[in-house]
Amino acid sequence: MKSRTWLAIFIIPMGIIIAAVPQNKTKPYKLTADELLSEANTRTQYVTPDVVADMIVKKDPSLRLIDVRSQDEFEKFSLPGAINIPASDLLSDQYTDILNQDIKMNIFYSNGTVAANEVWMITRQLGYTNNFVLEGGLNYWFDTILNPQKPSSTSPDEEFAKYDFHKSAGMALGGGGAIQATDNQASSSAKPVVKQAGKKKKAAGGC
Amino acid sequence: MGPLSVNGIISENTNLFLAFIIGIGFGFVLEQSGFSSSRKLAGVFYGYDTVVLKVFFTAAITGMLGLLFFSLFGWVDLNLIYVNPTYLTSAIVGGIIMGAGFIMGGYCPGTSFCGASIGKIDALVFIGGLFIGVFIFGIGYNLWSGMYIAKFLGSPKISETLGLTDGIFALILIIVALAMFWVAEWAEKKFPREAY
Repeated sequence: MKSRTWLAIFIIPMGIIIAAVPQNKTKPYKLTADELLSEANTRTQYVTPDVVADMIVKKDPSLRLIDVRSQDEFEKFSLPGAINIPASDLLSDQYTDILNQDIKMNIFYSNGTVAANEVWMITRQLGYTNNFVLEGGLNYWFDTILNPQKPSSTSPDEEFAKYDFHKSAGMALGGGGAIQATDNQASSSAKPVVKQAGKKKKAAGGC
Repeated sequence: MGPLSVNGIISENTNLFLAFIIGIGFGFVLEQSGFSSSRKLAGVFYGYDTVVLKVFFTAAITGMLGLLFFSLFGWVDLNLIYVNPTYLTSAIVGGIIMGAGFIMGGYCPGTSFCGASIGKIDALVFIGGLFIGVFIFGIGYNLWSGMYIAKFLGSPKISETLGLTDGIFALILIIVALAMFWVAEWAEKKFPREAY
């Protein structure tokens, strides 16, 4: 009887305190500065435009492109199938399920890589995985996929294969390549290109 | 030893050794508190001895308050705490089987080993039954695997399901626990037994 009274005297006020104070919802950072630096240095967060273009063309269901620019910029131009999470709203609760998951491959992109990298670093610090950055951002995307430069005639075959892939991917994604697609070489090698892309995907298909 | 072994501060073997020491300590306290007596344990079902109920509920509300305060001070990240996943069907069926075994045998798995360590014959028989049960479950797994994994709910918390904050749910649970202690002590007076 007495011990219960003592228990009640001690524990009820504790319960009232814990009910009255707000819940601690701060999210402590998961990585030390050293760990983050070494991750950033190995550049494993980058996914090349080739891989992304291939996934878009193949409608890979694991791909999720996330545009971290502002909503205005997103509405003007975005990659096919991309969703918009402005960097300023990154920590909003509605996006937690999208960013913190282990099923899809989230790829952040911005005009360059700075904003996307900032977002990637924050999600990494929160302990989230499966988030990546589009290498070179949209600028490099335009250069490689939508407006590929024809390699010089002395370039090795791989360069041409790459160019053809960029061109066909660019066509599929509505880039400038569609207009200049009159070249014999490009149309004759269109099929092997798709095969090569298939191989590439198998090698990259980590998820 | 949660953070120590996960972050590699102590080795896996040291971790096991510490578990061994803590286990001996836990068993010792359990035995000293009378939890090696099947009559005392079964008393909670008949109302003459409710110490089991009081001990487990006190432990639960102490641990709950500790975690909530640690979280408040930023010492513990509650999102990292492992919450046992809920499979509703198997939780109910398993609870019934476990409860029936508890009433009949007078032990729960942990306390049966506690009783066996001081040479209680009924505890040894209980452990024998425990292993027979494990064996039957393993042999017949294909028969009840469907039921075993049915109605998976993830790792819900009661507070989330009720839409309360953790703190308010904690306060409610404390009041319920104290009311239950009061009922339990009333039952002890109502159904007394001389010697058990």
